[in-house]
Formats: sequence, C-alpha cells, structure tokens
Amino acid sequence: MIQVEHISKEFVSPKKYPGLKGAIKGLFSNEKVRKTAVDDISFHISEGEIVGYIGSNGAGKSTTIKMMTGILTPTSGQCLINGIDPSKNRMENAQNIGVVFGQRTQLWWDLPLSESFTILKEIYNVSDEDYKDRMDFLNEVLDLPEFFDRPVRTLSLGQRMRADLGAALIHNPKVLYLDEPTIGLDIVVKDKIRDAIRQINEQYRTTVILTTHDIGDIEELCSRIIIIDEGKKIYDGGLAELKDTYGTSRRVTMEVRQPELFRKIDWEEKLHADESSIETELDDEKNLFSVSFDKNRIQVSDIISSVMQISDVRDIQIQETELSEIVKAIYRHALKGR
Amino acid sequence: MNKIKRYGRLYRVLVSQFLKTILQSKVDFFIGLIGFFFTQIMGIAFLYLVFEQIPDLQGWTLDQLIFIYGFAQIPRGIDHLFTDNIWMVSWWMVIDGDFDRYMLRPMNVFFQVICEKLQPDALGELLVGFALLILSISKGVVAFHAADVLLFLVSMIAGAVIYTSVKLFFASIAFWVKQSGPFLQVAYDMANFAKYPTEIYSRAVRFLITWVIPFAFVAYLPAGYFLGQRSAFATIGAECVIAVVFWIIAYSFFQYGTRKYESAGN
Repeated sequence: MIQVEHISKEFVSPKKYPGLKGAIKGLFSNEKVRKTAVDDISFHISEGEIVGYIGSNGAGKSTTIKMMTGILTPTSGQCLINGIDPSKNRMENAQNIGVVFGQRTQLWWDLPLSESFTILKEIYNVSDEDYKDRMDFLNEVLDLPEFFDRPVRTLSLGQRMRADLGAALIHNPKVLYLDEPTIGLDIVVKDKIRDAIRQINEQYRTTVILTTHDIGDIEELCSRIIIIDEGKKIYDGGLAELKDTYGTSRRVTMEVRQPELFRKIDWEEKLHADESSIETELDDEKNLFSVSFDKNRIQVSDIISSVMQISDVRDIQIQETELSEIVKAIYRHALKGR
Repeated sequence: MNKIKRYGRLYRVLVSQFLKTILQSKVDFFIGLIGFFFTQIMGIAFLYLVFEQIPDLQGWTLDQLIFIYGFAQIPRGIDHLFTDNIWMVSWWMVIDGDFDRYMLRPMNVFFQVICEKLQPDALGELLVGFALLILSISKGVVAFHAADVLLFLVSMIAGAVIYTSVKLFFASIAFWVKQSGPFLQVAYDMANFAKYPTEIYSRAVRFLITWVIPFAFVAYLPAGYFLGQRSAFATIGAECVIAVVFWIIAYSFFQYGTRKYESAGN
C-alpha cells in the first residue's frame, strides 16, 4: 500500500547572525544553512495496518507525513501511496487519502459543520448513496449529530477533532494520516477517538499512519511502530519486540518478613552479577525489598529463590519497563548505537 | 468537458460558502463597499483638479484622459473581484503553513486559491469604470461600433489576465522567501501608472510598465484603439499576446513554487 524509498528532505535557509549588526550582515551574505529534516528513510506498509510513527519534537515526523500526503516534495527518494507518487500526481493521490492534523482544522471555520460536509462531498465527488452510507457509519462511531448544525468555531476541541476525523473519511480514503489526533483531549474523548480509528480500520481496511506523543495511542492502536530520531529511522517493528529489545530492565518487589536480614548482603556477589546490572533498595517501614535488574543477565527465579532462603516472602510483584520509559530514553537519544 | 463542468460546479459551491460567511457580517460588507467607492471618487476629483491647472497634457484632452482612466478601472476591477485571495498567499498562507490545505485536496491549487474569496470592494472600481466609459461615449469622445463590443470584452478579459498574472508571479516569490507581500504591493502599485497615457512618464518608467510589469497593455494601449488612433491588431492583439505570455510565465512560476513550498513546523 505504501512504499517509502530512501526519502530525504532538506530545508535550505539563509544563514542568520545575532544582533542588529548580524541582521545587516545577513542581508548581504549569501551563506545558506542546510538542515536535513528527513534523512534517507525507507519503509513499507501493507493494507490495513495501523502504524505508529513516533519521535521527539523536530525529529522529522511531520515532514515525512507531509511528503507522503503531497504537501512537500522530497529532496531525494520517492514514495508511492497505492502506486501513486504524490509529488507527481498530487490530485490523484489526494483523492485516495484522508488527513487530520491535530493542531489545525480543515473545516470551514465560520459555517455550520453540516456545510463543511456538504462541500467535501462535492470536492471528493462522493455519490449520494456512498455519502449516506458513510454518514450513517460516521454518525455512529463519532456521534456527529449532537453538534452537526453548529458553526465549527463554537465546537469544543474534542468535538472538533471528531468532526475533523469524520471530514477526513467522507470519501472512504484508502490511507488515513493522523498527525497527533489526540493532542489536548481528555481521557473520555481520547478513548472515543481511538475506538473510532479502530472501527474504521476494521470495517474498511483503511491503512492508518499516526504520529503521536501519547503512549496510550500507540499501545491501544498500533501493532507496529516506526521510530525516527534526528531524521533517521532508528526502529521499525512490533511493539512487543521493541519492549524485548530496549525494555530489558525489570524490577521485582517483595514484601519480606524480616527486612533487617537484608541489610548486609552483597547481592552482586551472591547473584554473580556485575554492578551495572543490578540495584537493590530496602524499605524498612513497609518491609519492602526491591531489586532492579537486567533480565538478559539475571534470572528472576534466581533472585526470588535467593531472597526466600533468607526470609519468608509474603508478596511478589514483577514490573517490566513501561513503554513510556523506553520512548523517553529514545527521545533523550540514550539508545543511540545500540 | 466533464472537468470544466465539475470545476464550474465546485466554483459555485465554494463561492456560495464564502458569500454565506460574509453575509453574516453585513455591516462590514457595506462599509467596505462605500469606502472603496469614495476612493474612486477621490481619484476622479484629483484628475479634475489637475486639469483645471493644465487644460491638456501632451496633446490629450480631459475627456480622452477620463476615458483611459475609466477604461483602466474595469480589468482592474474584474481581477480584484475574482482573485483577491492571491494577496493572502503572499502575506500569510505560505509563512503560516495554511497553504497545506490546498495541497491536500483533489483540485487545482490555483483554482482553490481564487475561489476562497470574492472581493466586493471591486464593485466600486467596476461601477466607476463603467460610469466613466458611458460618460465618454455620450460625449462622443469615442466612436463605439457594434463590433467593438466584442473587442472591448476581449480587451477587458486580457487586461484582467495581465493583472492576475502580475499578482500571481509576485505572490509566488513567497514560496522561497515566505512572505512576498511587499514585493507584490510594489508591483501592484505600478498599475496606477496605467490610468494615464504612458507618454507622460520618463523613459525608465515607460520601459518598466511596458516590458517588465506590463500594465501599459491593460488600458492605455487598447484605449488607443477605441479613441480611433491605432489599429485593433496593434493594440488589442498585442494586449492578448502579452496576456497569454505573462500568464504562462506566472502560472509556471507558481506551479514551480508549490514544489518548493516548505510548509511550517508544528
């Protein structure tokens, strides 16, 4: 469905110097600053997939989406969306895609929402029959009727987002691009939007590409994620594998009967581990003893059995690294080179 | 043919949306219209004041000048009425990234730009233009034959295309520099030279408005035909050629610009 091949985008801007003197100097200098926003990215996405496209601010997410939608022309490389190159056949591609930018509406601001839908029906040349089917479906999953006759500018952010999502789907696009679709929404509306995306994907096999900073969006919707950092693709695969690869640290917390016995034990020696792969913590008041460790080096069963040799254990809790921790690490560039 | 029909239909739909929006604020609409009408009246009053001092200008009589002045207002008004949104592209749409919207829809981009807005202020220009033309005809300054009506229409359309081309060309610079409003303003203001015979200007100005920003072809030259001074071929024919050439240049430049469009960061 989507083939992105070695796509790059470079922005060229005149060099700026600080201060008034610099501004004048800038007027006469011909120096240019090149910034590579997207650097040789390739990926393929099949029909019906929901893919999370994530990265920190300025990593190049939006730039990639804008190239795939035909807003920007790539500096090099190409993408084919359903066999069409958006930079060559922009209009044909536009007929096949739906786009929602969370921070910018595509609706007619001063007119009732219903008018926007009427205009879009004309723009995308949707037949009366298809339009009716679509509206029935959209009304059901997005609850549009409750604000269908109100001017767009009077809608709440949640309503506007539902309206925008509906508007992007009126022509039954094969690919749906969502750029931060849940930004600034409350939990209930977020759930609604996610549900709607899931239903659209199931019912119409719409391919969905979604950029987000919301871990919930990714965990609930995406089977696959692509992570980019500083314009380069650094991860492409399933969510489970991401956790396996990067989320190797575990934490086991045990409620022990005699915490005082744990004070003087050298765990590194006891478990034959080096310093960096293990860390222990003791909470005397709650009788909690916890160990953080790298699961590739130490078996959790070894830890538990060693602890049980020392004291009775009332409760055990094992936590894996949360996805948000992994993503945070990626944003901090901490995983580079791994 | 189907395509033309489809665009015709879309134009109706989109423009009627715009009209619905502006009719929500009727007051603004009428104040704009009245304001513009006064600007026009002032322009003519200025002309009279000048001619009270100098009864003829390099061989041109006041009546002839009024004819050229009125003649110049009509293509300007047509362009102003239909393509005013080009200004928004040069000032804001590129720098704000609002232009994204046009790139996402399955319609010609230029078409989308112009059907987003009609400029009612232009009615002032059209009204004054036609009033002055009728005045000139009634005074017998120009001899108007039946066949001339067609030539007149052709000339008006070609003139409007020249205006649009100049606007589109200078607005397109925004794709490189983000905001090209100041350039467009300077270029558009050159059109004020078109209201008078070009002979009254210095050589440099004449060269500029003939070959660089071809506003001389919009009014002065074709008016020469109706004043009975020159042949239709040398005037309106030349105007049409210039209109086509400049349109091709401006539209290609605009198309090329959309490929250089950089949008805006979130």
